[in-house]
Amino acid sequence: MEQTNHDFSIPQRQPSVAIGIILIKFFRMTIKAIWPILVSLIIGRRAGSTFNDIILYVVIGFAAYNLIGSILTYFRFYYYVKDNAIVLDKGVLRKTRTNIPFERIQTINFSQNLLHRLFNVVSVEIDSAGANKSEISIDALSKDEAIALREYIMAEKEHLISESGTEEEKEISADRSPSELLLHLTPSDLLKVGVSQNHLRSMGIIFAFVFTTMNELTNDIGDFVSDQFTQFESFAEHNTLFAFVASAILVTIISFLFSLGNSLLKYYDLKLWMSKNGLKLVRGLLNREEVTINRNKVQMVSWSTNPIRKLFKMYTLQIAQASSSEVNAHKSKINVPGSYKEQLAKVINMVFPSEYLGTEVKHSISPVIKFRIVLFYGILPSLVALSAWFLIEDAAFYFLLVLPLSFFLGQTYHKKRSYEINEELIRSNGGIVGTENVLTQIHKIQAVKVKQSWYQRRKRLATIKLYTAAGEMSIPYITISEALQLENFVLYRVQTDKREWM
Amino acid sequence: MINHFENLSIDPNELPSLAGIDFKPIDPNYLKVSLISSALFFLILIGGSIAIIEFSDIEEKTNGYLISMSAIIILAAVSVILTILGFKKKQYALRQRDIIYTKGLIWSVRTTVPFNRIQHAELKQGPIERLYKINSLKLYTAGGQSSDLVIPGLPDKDALSIKDFVLKKTEEDGANQS
Repeated sequence: MEQTNHDFSIPQRQPSVAIGIILIKFFRMTIKAIWPILVSLIIGRRAGSTFNDIILYVVIGFAAYNLIGSILTYFRFYYYVKDNAIVLDKGVLRKTRTNIPFERIQTINFSQNLLHRLFNVVSVEIDSAGANKSEISIDALSKDEAIALREYIMAEKEHLISESGTEEEKEISADRSPSELLLHLTPSDLLKVGVSQNHLRSMGIIFAFVFTTMNELTNDIGDFVSDQFTQFESFAEHNTLFAFVASAILVTIISFLFSLGNSLLKYYDLKLWMSKNGLKLVRGLLNREEVTINRNKVQMVSWSTNPIRKLFKMYTLQIAQASSSEVNAHKSKINVPGSYKEQLAKVINMVFPSEYLGTEVKHSISPVIKFRIVLFYGILPSLVALSAWFLIEDAAFYFLLVLPLSFFLGQTYHKKRSYEINEELIRSNGGIVGTENVLTQIHKIQAVKVKQSWYQRRKRLATIKLYTAAGEMSIPYITISEALQLENFVLYRVQTDKREWM
Repeated sequence: MINHFENLSIDPNELPSLAGIDFKPIDPNYLKVSLISSALFFLILIGGSIAIIEFSDIEEKTNGYLISMSAIIILAAVSVILTILGFKKKQYALRQRDIIYTKGLIWSVRTTVPFNRIQHAELKQGPIERLYKINSLKLYTAGGQSSDLVIPGLPDKDALSIKDFVLKKTEEDGANQS
């Protein structure tokens, strides 16, 4: 496998366009961190106090220091290949050398933001198995070179393993099997995904954003805004109902557009490929992200749907893989919204041994949980509200509505909550408005917890929690004898299974 | 005992169950250590509230003392009672293939970690623990922080031998060498 036009053994800097990318990254991060200060300074400058000037100079000085630092980082950054390992040299004042042997490299991922795409470069992330802090990233490499580098490393890795590795390792490394395009989000599918997003969550995000930034800004902004809206305010005071309905509609529309835009940015042109040893996902409009999922690293597969998404017969598929460090926890869970049933089945069939994927008996949980839900979400809140009667007067009675609501909540929760188990797999089902299913292989479980509250002990019930390297599964309110059997069986399976869990 | 899971090749009732094993209590010195550290915590709290009352311009200082001190005393009493009663619940057991730790007075939790899933083990000793010559054994798994197992109150000589035992078992059982 000789690459004629790329020699990786010579230490190289990134292409010069990387400076631009590093700078943009720097600016984005700085602005993100200090923009509330800047805004309040600019508005507050009308007052013209010297204290504000001092803060401004400190901010500018800090920014300049960082700026010089990040430019120097570029000139100090070298990458090369030596003794079957990829080496990164970096650091301005304190030099560091990171060295990852090819055998330990798990995946090499590319991602592109708008700027990367403009200059036809990619940022490269190399993920390896084992110790913490084992991921290295290169801000920008020309696309040809990055692909050549990946080809080279993977070929060398295969070569190394076929010389010394075990049978199993050989099988894994032979990742040259043809891959099949499993899923491609068409524009209409993307629209369906956007429409069926959780708009309440978008609303929450918007509210959180507005409140936190409002908090960070000084009172100047508050005055500034209220100056602009005084007229509207007096109007609103006289037309309370109108103002309420209008703002409710406005908030709904904004949330809807927000989630629509968000899914467009995130899931545009999503493609999922499947090969014998794993999955590859590419997605995004401005930030083009590529994620490789190794079949052996997958710990859990879950799929969920909500009423709107169900109308489109779509599911959100989530594949959770063991991550090498806790820092990348968010990256270890890959969401694929807009998967149809047959695509779901294909992914599950690839990840888990198909002979165990039949239907099993659904074990339901104890109906006692209904009373607990009514107590905690119905009776207690309404008691609190009623005891605050003297404060909020008749409005307290509206809170009694939570009683039937909590009853309904308890009923559906209990009806949908169940689990299935066989020799190889354990699956939990649940959901309130939508449905949610989680599936994992028993031998991938790392630890088992059996929990009992004081109340559960009296009713001879228990909650069992199963921990994997990529999330946990919990089965609440089952009888203590059932929990014990489950615990014993899971432990027995984990302890006698000689397969690797990753 | 009824079998809840008929589809499994092995009857879970025939598997080694928890009934036969004897749980070992942790070292009584640990109770002293936790009482001393909560005493320190409440002393700092008392000191802090005295400072706040003295240096602020509260008019009725006696009232301030009455309210804050009674609140702190109630909290301290509850915490002492829970610590003493809860101490008995802190037990551990070593089995052939796993290690079990139980705790919790009101919310009881039993955590089991199979030896072949332990990533690494370490002994920790705080300043007060050092006075009483006890250690905490921390076992890390790949299941993240919430599934890591911490057994406090192990005397110096036991702690080291348990750690060595666990690591030896992990090496024997471990299938996970990649």
